[in-house]
Amino acid sequence: MSKSKKMTLSKKQNLMGWVFLAPGAVLIFIMSFVPMFRALVLSFKSGVGANMKWSGVSNYVRMFQDTVFVQSIKNTFFYLIIQVPVMLIFALILASILNNKDLRFKGLFRTMIFLPCATSLVAYAIIFRSLFANNGLVNLVLVNLGILDQPYAFLTHTTSARIVIIIALLWRWTGYNMVFYLSGLQNIEYSVYEAAKIDGASAVQSFFKITVPLLKPTILLTAIMSTNGTLQLFDESVNLTNGGPANTSITMSHYIYDMSFKYVPNFGYAAAMSFLILVLVAVLAFLQMKVGDKRD
Amino acid sequence: MKRKILAALLASTMVLSLVGCGGGSAETPAAPAADSGAAEEAPAAEEAPAADAETPAAAGGDETLTVWCWDPAFNMNAMYEAEKVYQKDHPNFKLNVVETPWDDIQTKVTTAATSGDLSTLPDIFLMQDNAFQKNVLAFPDVCMDLTNSGVDFSQFAAGKTAYSVIDGKNYGVPFDNGAVVACYRTDLLEQAGLTIDDFTDITFDQYLENGKKVLEATGKPLISMQAGECDLIMMMLQSAGASLFNEDGTANIVGNDTLKTVMETYKSLKDAGVLTEVNSWDEYVGDFVSGNVAGTINGCWIMASIQTAEDQSGNWAITNMPSLVGASGATNYSNNGGSSWAVTTNCANPDLACDFLASTFAGSNELYDNILPSGALATWAPAGDSSAYGEPNEFFGGDAVSAKIVDFATKVPTNITGAYYYEARNAVATAITNYINGSDLETELQTAEQTINFNMQ
Repeated sequence: MSKSKKMTLSKKQNLMGWVFLAPGAVLIFIMSFVPMFRALVLSFKSGVGANMKWSGVSNYVRMFQDTVFVQSIKNTFFYLIIQVPVMLIFALILASILNNKDLRFKGLFRTMIFLPCATSLVAYAIIFRSLFANNGLVNLVLVNLGILDQPYAFLTHTTSARIVIIIALLWRWTGYNMVFYLSGLQNIEYSVYEAAKIDGASAVQSFFKITVPLLKPTILLTAIMSTNGTLQLFDESVNLTNGGPANTSITMSHYIYDMSFKYVPNFGYAAAMSFLILVLVAVLAFLQMKVGDKRD
Repeated sequence: MKRKILAALLASTMVLSLVGCGGGSAETPAAPAADSGAAEEAPAAEEAPAADAETPAAAGGDETLTVWCWDPAFNMNAMYEAEKVYQKDHPNFKLNVVETPWDDIQTKVTTAATSGDLSTLPDIFLMQDNAFQKNVLAFPDVCMDLTNSGVDFSQFAAGKTAYSVIDGKNYGVPFDNGAVVACYRTDLLEQAGLTIDDFTDITFDQYLENGKKVLEATGKPLISMQAGECDLIMMMLQSAGASLFNEDGTANIVGNDTLKTVMETYKSLKDAGVLTEVNSWDEYVGDFVSGNVAGTINGCWIMASIQTAEDQSGNWAITNMPSLVGASGATNYSNNGGSSWAVTTNCANPDLACDFLASTFAGSNELYDNILPSGALATWAPAGDSSAYGEPNEFFGGDAVSAKIVDFATKVPTNITGAYYYEARNAVATAITNYINGSDLETELQTAEQTINFNMQ
């Protein structure tokens, strides 16, 4: 009697676990995985608008012959290679400064640095666009200081347009990553730093010898998230530079959007390009895990 | 305890809202069912016409049409006026105008057409002229063929109607006028010793010379344009009746002498400083409103933006645009922007929709007089004879601008938009940007043609 009751209890608990899991799992399955599967099927079709036909892997071949798409891949990797390391280093430095126990108004500084992250992507992109406009604040300041003779068209030159996008991304996302580092730092005993100090370690030494190694899992997490985010970059390209000048700042997602909604729609091709992003994200995350995670 | 109550309240709110969403989505499939039953249940359908925004098909039984368009002050207002005009003969007639931005209309049409369920579409919607060919090609089931609908298309400006003609069939009733006007600040021209007559019926060579004088006297360029958007290029091209496509739909870039002339003209304006490029639409509008440039060239709808600078009233004048030099068929007239009404195949009462459009937008002087104050200029030729169009406009120095524009509109050469208009436009924008920065024109045009051909594969 008592034995059978025990069995039912463990079974009951098991069942309860599944009941709690089920709604979320079902929703994720229907909302995420079914569309992903449908998109995969779609990526093997081609055609204009609603007239889709099976076309095998032609979409996947096509995208590497598409000069604009290849350009967009290059642009996206340009952002990735420059922006992600710079941002993570900044975030790490800021986090270790703000982790100092003796610093006053810590909460205020933390909030201020995190706040950009609460702004809308479109709104901040448009504000950056007007900041760097020909008659925008940046040009106004530079001209009045005598650094420039006449306003420089930041967004109509390739290099400066890309740099503006990177600056915008840094402003928007550094604080976000800093918060991860700050929470990671809470797990490092403050006494470790004190001991290092007593042993004569400088601030730089304790940063590289204590903070960085102990934060490695968090750094890995932020690196993967930032890589993922940068590969899917969309709002900044659309609103800040509109892909220009001459497609030299367009991102992959922006081009996919154009292909689906601005141009004569070819959803099969657009879906195939989206899957390339998925593959890129997966490969890069895998590499980062292999390089960064030495736990086993 | 308080926290627990709060948590419970929040949780129940979320659950309720979830249920609400579920209910909402369950309603949509029910719409076609309501359609089939509408004939017997006509009184029931009439009881809640306003609530039926999501289910236009349900309106089939009575004389209600659902319309999607986007500007309350402009095209929505025009629809309300049209409703009033039509109601005089059809007292039971009703319009349900739903404000839907163009980007949303495009997305909704795309979604409905690709899913094969057209029941979510309205009876009539407004379509950007430049997107017309693309949508009819990509979604042939969406728009109804209006060729024999009773609308007399010959009374519209030919250059305008051409946007919505595909394979010789009319799919749209032209609405607003996009005839190109050249607007100038007469007070600034005066400082350079010029008048509006020096800019009327001129060529781009004269425009360049005049521009240099204005630049010297005032330090201001004549015009600014949005970089990466080739509006002016497209206007110049159409002014000579040239297109980026051939009749058979193939790209017409390499060996298109008019396009080459256009590119060279644009670069010479840019190099001389007569034309400056800005990054965004706001900057473009800001430039002429705040007097950074001495004028602009664009579709006549731009005059609404110009007139927001109330302090400059009387200092503006409009005339026709400069013509290209050395291009065959060059004129001083072109078109940019504008939209047309399309009837969807989801329309339960196509005869009513066609008759409504034929007797209002294609047949009512009264309607066009009523909507003139909102800046909606007719492309319907008979409307131009109305006395309302001859009234002077104080902002533009007492000139009868409306009559002038209707006259311009009738002289606009026809050209081929092509389904791949946006692709071609972007490719040409890339070419002009690189060309201005010093690339070889022939190479850039070849790249542009390759890009377009690749997109059309």
